[in-house]
Amino acid sequence: MVFALRDDIESDVWHKEVAFERGHLYLVEADSGTGKSSLCSYLVGYRDDYQGIICFDGTNVRNYKVKDWVEIRKRSLAYLFQELRLFPELTAYENVAVKNNLTGFKKRKQIEEWFGALGIGDKMHEKIGRMSFGQQQRVAMMRALAQPFDFLLADEPVSHLDDENGRVMGEIMMEEARRQGAGVIVTSIGKRMMLDYEKIFRL
Amino acid sequence: MTLVWKLLRRHLSFPQLAGFFLANLLGMLIVLLGIQFYFDVAPAFSRGDSFIRSDYLIVSKRIGVMGAMSGRGSVFSPADIDEIRAQKFCKSVGAFTASQYGVSASMGIEGMGYMSTDLFFESVPDRYVDTDSKEWTFKAGDPGVPIILPRSYLAIYNFGFSQSRSLPKLSEGVVGMLDLNVRLRGRDGREGVMKGKIVGFTDRLNTILVPESFMAWSNGVYAPGADAAPTRLVVEVYNPADDAIARFLQQKGYDTEADKLDAGKTTYFLRVVSGVVMGVGLLISLLSFYILMLSIYLLVQKNSTKLENLLLIGYGPWRVGLPYEVLAVGLNVLVLLLALGLVSLLRGYYLDMLSLLFPQVEGAGMWPACVLGILLCLVVSVLNVCAIQAKVLSIWKHKA
Repeated sequence: MVFALRDDIESDVWHKEVAFERGHLYLVEADSGTGKSSLCSYLVGYRDDYQGIICFDGTNVRNYKVKDWVEIRKRSLAYLFQELRLFPELTAYENVAVKNNLTGFKKRKQIEEWFGALGIGDKMHEKIGRMSFGQQQRVAMMRALAQPFDFLLADEPVSHLDDENGRVMGEIMMEEARRQGAGVIVTSIGKRMMLDYEKIFRL
Repeated sequence: MTLVWKLLRRHLSFPQLAGFFLANLLGMLIVLLGIQFYFDVAPAFSRGDSFIRSDYLIVSKRIGVMGAMSGRGSVFSPADIDEIRAQKFCKSVGAFTASQYGVSASMGIEGMGYMSTDLFFESVPDRYVDTDSKEWTFKAGDPGVPIILPRSYLAIYNFGFSQSRSLPKLSEGVVGMLDLNVRLRGRDGREGVMKGKIVGFTDRLNTILVPESFMAWSNGVYAPGADAAPTRLVVEVYNPADDAIARFLQQKGYDTEADKLDAGKTTYFLRVVSGVVMGVGLLISLLSFYILMLSIYLLVQKNSTKLENLLLIGYGPWRVGLPYEVLAVGLNVLVLLLALGLVSLLRGYYLDMLSLLFPQVEGAGMWPACVLGILLCLVVSVLNVCAIQAKVLSIWKHKA
């Protein structure tokens, strides 16, 4: 996998063949400007300005149609966006529900428990726009978990969280992943989620 | 769905939608009223005269003093007929055949005694008579004979005769159900009685029309050997508006029963006017469609970040476009229903007037407006949905 127009890169990912497998936990560590967000965009089908091949289960994703990507995003690939992409006019709960209504994956009770565990149980019905970035990150994580997935792609999930909340979030995330036998790919640009990574890539 | 709608209704501009709604309603109303009016009014000008099509002319010789005295002046000779047939405007020529024997008809109405009158029959080749071929047949030995009467006869009866005798007025439908007793008297004294059945009325022919086969049979039986030279011709022309026809008729001193041509022209102008009105309506509809599309494009544009986020968390373009599509289609359907309601209301006003002017004409029903309205609504809705889908897909591809 290569950036278009650049070939002077030293990396564990670019110019290399890399495989991610279900049931494993990966960390992709990056410096600023090395293409972490680009990598994530390629993986969720948001961008396709790369050279090389990305395959899901042996199928080149360049051949994916719109409906294939919709299915992937709904059923196979959960994604916690670095920029969160929450809806400021909805409440915290509604932001999770808007995903859960689509997948019908989680009960309301489960979501309420997550809110409690992540320390924002009192903010459930607060507009997202009024919450801090750290609080929003937790809501975004819950939204990412409100679907079945083979892989969870968490782009800098704890950048604005204290260690305790980061730990709780990591636990919830790993519990969900284990229950589904899914793989987890976490990225970090400095502060990393404290987990037992099986493999660490330097971007 | 409700959460998605809560997100996407942001930036919805009610003034824009109201503008679209009113413009579309106006356009739809004009289009539907135009077609409804045409279908309601057109029969008033072309009613019941499907028997003789408008591209047939009835040609006779002008009756002059000399001709009146000799009695032969109004007859078309084979040479005259060949000459007409040779004209460029002429597609075909058929001759009227007159009965060569005496005819009288009588009709009994319960308790009102007996009415009887002397008549004559004429026939033209059957292919010029455009009526249900089952009704318009006669075979030797049939007890009844189908007849087409001039509509003016009924008017004379209804407004003159029945008035003075306190007899009931008859509608065309009722007359069609009556049986006439027709008495045929040959020159040699032979007599026969038949039932006459009135199958229709015509404005174009001042004659009492019977099928060609009946005329051949009855002339053969009651007036064998009589000469039946035609006094009138039916001429099928390529274009009734061709001025060569008028020139030729003028030059030969022939007359034509032109009344129906005027009705034809009226129908033509009615069609043109309705067409123009509907064109204006369509134009307004088109503009309103444009307003709606602009309004929704603007909405999609303003909400493009939200739409993109929805697409990224797994909503398909179809799900994301659905609220806007429901909005557009819903508005279209609402406009259709309202327009149909208004058309039916407005139609009530002119139908009253129409039934006063043309008592025989029955309204066409609301189906022309309904069919066209549903068709328009369908086409516009499909275009709306396609445009919205295209717009959402352009967001998917980051081209918005």
